[in-house]
Amino acid sequence: MEGGQEGGQEGWMDGRRAGRRAGRMDGRQEGRKAGRKRALRRCGREAAGMASVVLSEAEKLYIVHGVQEDLRVDGRGCEDYRCAEVETDVVSNTSGSARVKLGETDILVGIKAEMGTPKLEKPDEGYLEFFVDCSSNSPELEGRGGEELGTDIANTLYRVFSCENSVDLKSLCINPKEHCWVLYVDVLLLECGGNIFDAISIAVKAALFNTRIPKVRVLEDEEGTKEIELSDDPYDCIRLSVDEVPCIVTLSKIGYRHVVDATLQEEACSLASLLISVTSKGAITSMRKVGKGSLDPESIFEMMETGQRVGKSLHIALQKILDEEENLGTSRPKVGFLG
Amino acid sequence: MPLDHRRLRGPEESQPPTLWAAAAAEDEEDEEGAGAAARDPCALRPLFARAGLLSQAQGSAYVELGSGTKVLCAAWGPREAAEPGPGRLICEFRRAPFAGRGARGRPGAAAEREAEREAAAALREALEPAVRLGRYPRARLAVSALLLQDGGSALAAAVSAAALALADAGVEMYDLAVGCALCRPPAPAASWMLQPAEPEERRAAARLTLALLPALNQVSAVLGGGRGGPPEDWAQALRLGLDGCHRQYPVLRQSLLRAAQRRRSTPPS
Repeated sequence: MEGGQEGGQEGWMDGRRAGRRAGRMDGRQEGRKAGRKRALRRCGREAAGMASVVLSEAEKLYIVHGVQEDLRVDGRGCEDYRCAEVETDVVSNTSGSARVKLGETDILVGIKAEMGTPKLEKPDEGYLEFFVDCSSNSPELEGRGGEELGTDIANTLYRVFSCENSVDLKSLCINPKEHCWVLYVDVLLLECGGNIFDAISIAVKAALFNTRIPKVRVLEDEEGTKEIELSDDPYDCIRLSVDEVPCIVTLSKIGYRHVVDATLQEEACSLASLLISVTSKGAITSMRKVGKGSLDPESIFEMMETGQRVGKSLHIALQKILDEEENLGTSRPKVGFLG
Repeated sequence: MPLDHRRLRGPEESQPPTLWAAAAAEDEEDEEGAGAAARDPCALRPLFARAGLLSQAQGSAYVELGSGTKVLCAAWGPREAAEPGPGRLICEFRRAPFAGRGARGRPGAAAEREAEREAAAALREALEPAVRLGRYPRARLAVSALLLQDGGSALAAAVSAAALALADAGVEMYDLAVGCALCRPPAPAASWMLQPAEPEERRAAARLTLALLPALNQVSAVLGGGRGGPPEDWAQALRLGLDGCHRQYPVLRQSLLRAAQRRRSTPPS
């Protein structure tokens, strides 16, 4: 855990401009508290399939006005991420795992590599299967609500990874048409604090980086029966290259501007968001609009530019953390899950 | 479509013969592909739209594209719902089992249902900005789209048909949602093409579906994926798609007008 915490505190995406605007923030916060005591109207519970938060009209107005001036409630700018902690290899029974805490959002991803038969249309490639579980979250996400959100996230992940060269699927093939590696990616949403798509994509990339697939050899007998032999050395494994794996950047439209990494409150104020998946080289591999509102074409163009910029810096920071953790190797101290 | 248990469903795993006749079929397809490469990428296929054809539904519409995509859509609304709160739009998207060119998908299969649910969610995202849900508190509006034949750009045609059906049912809307699909062939420096046919869509390296509210110039849905490119590529594709939507808008409006005239001239039976 220490490795992850070091990475987090080294300040990647640390967007606290507290020093500069401290004076103004305090004044606003006091006024806000007074306003909340005076008139708290329940207005528009935004239950858009995610955990809902109750905001009064005054609070929404406060957030919207702040965003117009590039100042968000916690002091970040419109393009800053919250402080994030990434740790890999947290679950020992999996082939690869990762845990990401982005502000209050907590995601755990476990990848298990199992042998299966390749798909009919692509006989010389392995494939990935995504499964997302949201039920441990809040009472309204139990049962149907959680299942819908889970399938929504899984479909988004399928679309993001549908680009052929995001993961090298040919390296997952053992015997064309007969055996291949299937990577079952299981995502657990431990806590939803806004911006779950970004956090999930970061966790999936970190888990894929951490995945170790054992090397197998195929022995063929005289009769033609094939036997699969696992190598004896537990450290002899295939690692996946995650250079082309995209990360999702969610841009939420609030008022006339868009923000990156919205908290639950900011999501309640935004009517439409654009999900863009960006690779480390700045190529956009998928786009999707979510939300009940509509977007102006000009905003979409601006959001794509912002998404590309933010995505590239996200990839650089994430790769740095992953490489550092890798170099620590076995000397990394193991702290408990809540450490 | 409800599952008919009396009918023999055949073996669990069935594969179409075209999969095994791949070698011969690919030569033919290459020739087709070469011929189609001369197609103008900005050309819109002929569109046929008719509203008000089902007698049992409050609103209905049928959209057919020149490439062979046929979508039938029916709309009902508003009905009283038990949950309090603003009105809800419930969308359903179904494919006929014979709709696709490849193997017949078994109607109850999990993969089919997943794809249908995803398409229904996309349909809902495209239509919600267009419908004035605030005018129907505590109500449910239902839209059901049926894809009879998939000739490419199925989701885009379904969006247009669903918007027409809702308007035909008399639901208050800000504007009609017009759908348009684009794709980019796998050749390295290829440009985006409007309204691909089914073989082009299958071989495409990247696909994009848009829904636009033309009178307000607001994009109500964007759904795209595939081999990446810089944002300028996708921006160019978006502009092409928006232009395509604007060009289709008059056809849809005309069909609504004709349906209203037809309804007025024939007395209710």
